Formats: sequence, C-alpha cells, structure tokens
Amino acid sequence: MSKNNQKTVIYMKSLGKRFDDEAGVLDALKDINLEILAGDFVAIMGPSGSGKSTLMNIIGLLDKPTSGVFMLDDVDIASLGEKQLATLRRDKIGFVFQNFNLLPRLNVAQNVELPMVYAKKSKSARKQKIAEVLKKVGLEDKAKSRSNRMSGGQVQRVAIARALTNNPSLILADEPTGNLDTKTGIEIMNLLRDLNKQGVTIVVVTHNPEVGDYANKIVMVRDGLLHKTKAVS
Amino acid sequence: MIFQNIKMALISIKSAKMRSFLTMLGIIIGVFAVLVMIGIGDGVKAQVTSQVSSLGTNLLQVTSGQIGGSSTSAKNGQQQKSSGGSFNFASSLGASTLTTQDVATIEQTKNVSAVAPINVVSSVVTYEQLSTSSPFILGTTPNYTDIRQLKFQNGRFFSDNENTSTSKVAVIGADTKQNLFADNDAIGKELTIRGQKFTIVGVVKKSDVGSGIGGSSDDIIYVPINTANSVTSSNQVFRIVVQVDKSEDISSVQNQIKYELKKNHGGQEDFSVLTQEDLLSTFNTILDLLTAFVVAIASISLLVGGIGIMNIMLVTVSERTREIGIRKAIGATSGNILSQFLIEAIILSVLGGLLGLGLSYLAGLLVQKFAGITPVFSLKALVLALGVSLFVGVVFGVAPAIKAARKRPIQALKTL
Repeated sequence: MSKNNQKTVIYMKSLGKRFDDEAGVLDALKDINLEILAGDFVAIMGPSGSGKSTLMNIIGLLDKPTSGVFMLDDVDIASLGEKQLATLRRDKIGFVFQNFNLLPRLNVAQNVELPMVYAKKSKSARKQKIAEVLKKVGLEDKAKSRSNRMSGGQVQRVAIARALTNNPSLILADEPTGNLDTKTGIEIMNLLRDLNKQGVTIVVVTHNPEVGDYANKIVMVRDGLLHKTKAVS
Repeated sequence: MIFQNIKMALISIKSAKMRSFLTMLGIIIGVFAVLVMIGIGDGVKAQVTSQVSSLGTNLLQVTSGQIGGSSTSAKNGQQQKSSGGSFNFASSLGASTLTTQDVATIEQTKNVSAVAPINVVSSVVTYEQLSTSSPFILGTTPNYTDIRQLKFQNGRFFSDNENTSTSKVAVIGADTKQNLFADNDAIGKELTIRGQKFTIVGVVKKSDVGSGIGGSSDDIIYVPINTANSVTSSNQVFRIVVQVDKSEDISSVQNQIKYELKKNHGGQEDFSVLTQEDLLSTFNTILDLLTAFVVAIASISLLVGGIGIMNIMLVTVSERTREIGIRKAIGATSGNILSQFLIEAIILSVLGGLLGLGLSYLAGLLVQKFAGITPVFSLKALVLALGVSLFVGVVFGVAPAIKAARKRPIQALKTL
C-alpha cells in the first residue's frame, strides 16, 4: 500500500455514507476510494452539497461511514467505539476550522495546551511543547494573549499550533482561509506549506481554487462521488 | 485531569461572577441558616448543661406537676407509668401541690443530707429612689446555701433563728447589688419588698457560669422562707431542693422520696422528683425538637439552591454547546466533558457552602455579642455543611453534565 516508501495515512475502499431519517434517504458519499500518504498536501474540493463536508467529518473521525472500509494509520475504525474514536482523534488528527474555534475564556497557551491535557501529558512536556509549536507559527511572544484581542490571521495561527501539539498523523483544515482577507489567507497557506515541507501531512477542504494551488494532490468531490484525483507536480 | 477541570471550572466561574454568585446564593443561605440554627441550639445546650452540672450531681428537685422522668417511675412496679418522658407544661403551672409536710417527710428520708424548700415571691424591689422588678426573689432556708455552696462577697446568709422568727433580712446576688448599689456598700441597707423593709445581711459572689436562659442567676434576692410566707400570706412550697449523701444513691433516694410523698398526696403522683439529668434531658428534648424544626425549614433553601444550580448549569450547557464541540473535536472523551461540568457544579455548590460557613461564623460572633449566647460550631456542623453542599452539587450537577457529555461533536460545532 505504499509507494516511494511513504506510509499510508488514510485508506478508503468503497466507502459510503447514507443518511436515513424522516426527511428520507440520502447517499452523501458513494463508492469513495482514496489513499492519502504521509507527507501529502491534499486539497478536497467541490461545490457545496457535494459531500466534501461529510468526507471531512469521516476523515476527522467525527462521523462514521455506513459502508466500505476506512483505515487511519492502518487502524480499521469500523469496530471502534465512541471513546476509542475520541482518543484516536486526539492522537492522530489536528483540526483547523474556518472560524478558528478557540475557547474564548482561555489564553493562547491554554488553548494550545488543551489537546495535551486530554492526552494526559506531563506538565513539563506540555510547557515545552507549547513553546515549540508557538515558535513554529511565529507567535512565541503571544502565549498570554487572549484570542479576542488578536487579528484573524493570528488566531488561525494559534489554531494551527493547537492542531500540532499531539504530533498528529494529519492536519485537517476546513476552509482555513474562509474568514481571512486575501493577504492573510496567503500567509496561512504559506505556513501550512512550510509545515508540509517539514513532513506534516495536510488535508485541506475548500472550494477556493487558489487554496487548491498549494496542494500536491487534488480530490474533486461531486454528488457524493470522487470526480477525479489528480497529482500536481 | 481533575486539577485541570478544577482550573477550568474556576476560570468559567470567574468569567461570570454575578451569575455564579446568584447561582450560589441558595446554597449560601441554606448552609448559613442551617449552621446558625444548629450553632445556637448547641450553644444554648452547652450553656444550660454547664449551669446544671455546676450545681452538682447529687441534687434532686421536687416540683409540682408531672415533668418527664418516666425512667424512674417505670422502675417502681406499684406506680402507674407516667406518660413516657413527656412534658406536661400546664401541670407545672398553677398552685403548687407541695406542702411543708412534704419537706418534713423528705428530711426524714434515708441518705438525704440536706433539704431546702423554695418559694418565689413576685414583687418590685425598691431601694431609696431606685426600683426594679428584675430580681428573682426566693424564700428558702439556710440549708440552701450549703446545697448550692454559695460564696459571699460581703456578709453572710441568714440563720435558722432569723427564719424561725420571720426576721426581715435579705441576701442579694452580685448583679442585684450592682444594679441597686453600684460600688457602694450594701450591707445594712434596707430594701422594700411588698411594702416591707428588709435589711441586707449578705452579698453573694458572682457565679462562674454567667448569665443563663431566663435571666442572670446573679440577679437574685434570698429571704427566709417563713418571712416570705408571712409576707405573701401563703403556705405553699414551690420547689424542694434535696441534697443526697452520695451521688450513687441518687436514684434509690429518688424512688424512696416518690414513694413517701405519694402517701402524703393521697396516692396521686401530682409531683415530680427530678435529678439534674432529668431536668437536662427534658430541656434538651424541647430544644432538640425546636432545632430540628428550624433546621428542617432552613434545609428547604438548600434544596431550592440545588435546583438553582441545576437550572443554571443546564443553561450553561446549552450556551457552551460550541465549546463542547471544540473540546470533543480536539480529543475530549464524553467522560472528560462529563467530569468537567460535574466538577463545575460541585465547585459552585461547595464554594457556596464555604461562603455560608463563613457568614454563619460572622453571625455567630454577632449573636454572641448581642444575645449573650455563644453559638457552638462543631466539626460535625462543618463537615455537615461541606458534605451537604458537595452532595447537592453532585445530585444537581449530574443531569446537566450528562446532557453536555451526550452532545455530538458535529452538531455541537455547527451551533453558533
């Protein structure tokens, strides 16, 4: 399952997701086959309603597929319970959201610390890691700041730092530039590209073609089907 | 993790200070009310116990009417059982059933070392221009001073001769002396009681026990009982104080006196022979009932406080749905969320309990200063206050915490 000696992070085979409720039956995803390797920078693109959000939720372990196979770091998630999913999410996935989603009552360092608290890391390890990831995103002097006194670009950097703390297998970014102006958006994408060059696997979900330009692999979703997958050189 | 949860809870409590305070208010008031009531009740009990026990364990009191003491009457097979430990207040009012003949009978009972009959004279007391109705005026015999082991500032108690000859002499307590004479000498001065002049022959030292329920035990005037009877033109005996040779004999003497007196009273037990313990337990029974009643009412506010916490926590959970979603997305398990919200409820409640505790301590100081009662705050009460508020926090925090833990991260993240 690997080429160029790269490890497979995401493996999907005939994956489907069906919503079945009072409103009727909806196949949000049908027959998805997808492989994402360690070190990839993948953009999942598609118009709204295409199923890309559902795909992102499944990759982020916030939702489970109703059919097919999904393996994350060679772990088949079909048999996992809610608690195991939470643990896997904590250790393997770093989330970056369109609207940042920092906790407003906490300062920058406390926000970054939170995933490590849930991972029961020691206090000294947490402290060391906070300094390390804040330096990576260029906010080493903002540890005590509150997110409501920072610019959108800075807040998104904090969110990226938080996503990095538990050394995840991949960073899953949902429209990371959606709430930012063009210039700041470019800065954030450059930061993600730098992280990718340092070996972090990145999956971006977006409908913005300019964001897609940063990826080395583009996955197009349309009507719940993988429309095409192309590698960008 | 628990430490982190406590830290998180404190941050969110601090970020909404007014709301947190209002949430805690029910618990604060509840714990405050319960502790103050228990503290005052225990304080009164301690005071009465020390007063009664300072009088000695070898004393019996014979009073008119039936007051408690079922344990002893049940031992005597011939007697009808008195209504077990009950307290018939009305039977102790009205004209006394005790007579001077009863006093003589008790004096002849085996193992009795001293007997002092007591009568109460109600009167205004006048010295020159000063007039007071506060002193308790007791008519008694010189035996009384031996039984009570009175100590004197000045002078002496009256003698048997003075009693027999109905001399108009009086012995006054330290507070009465202070009220009427201030720092002047009282010996030889004349008081007017019921229009008769009484010469003061002695001043009793202030007792160690201090003021008690129903006024100071040092605001008192002793006169010879024969003089008292002639002044009031009555022959009643209000109460008889009996000293027994040895404390061990007290219950056999108690039964013996009961048996003998019943003969005087035509076979009717229309009197009570009580040990100091009987008196205490009667008093404590009443006080415990009163305390329990008031505490029960105060506890309702604890319940209301708990419901208040649940209410606010449920609102908080709805408000913080997005926070819950974020936390779950970055790796919190449902258990993490559950314990976070539960600990927050518990901290609110226990903090309220601590504030109530502090407030009740301050109230205790005020009560001590202005009411002369020293409330007792035992470790028991402290543990009770914290235990109850912890319990309230857990019970009323569980439902909101479960609601929080059950939120699905996708839905939670969608809410704004």
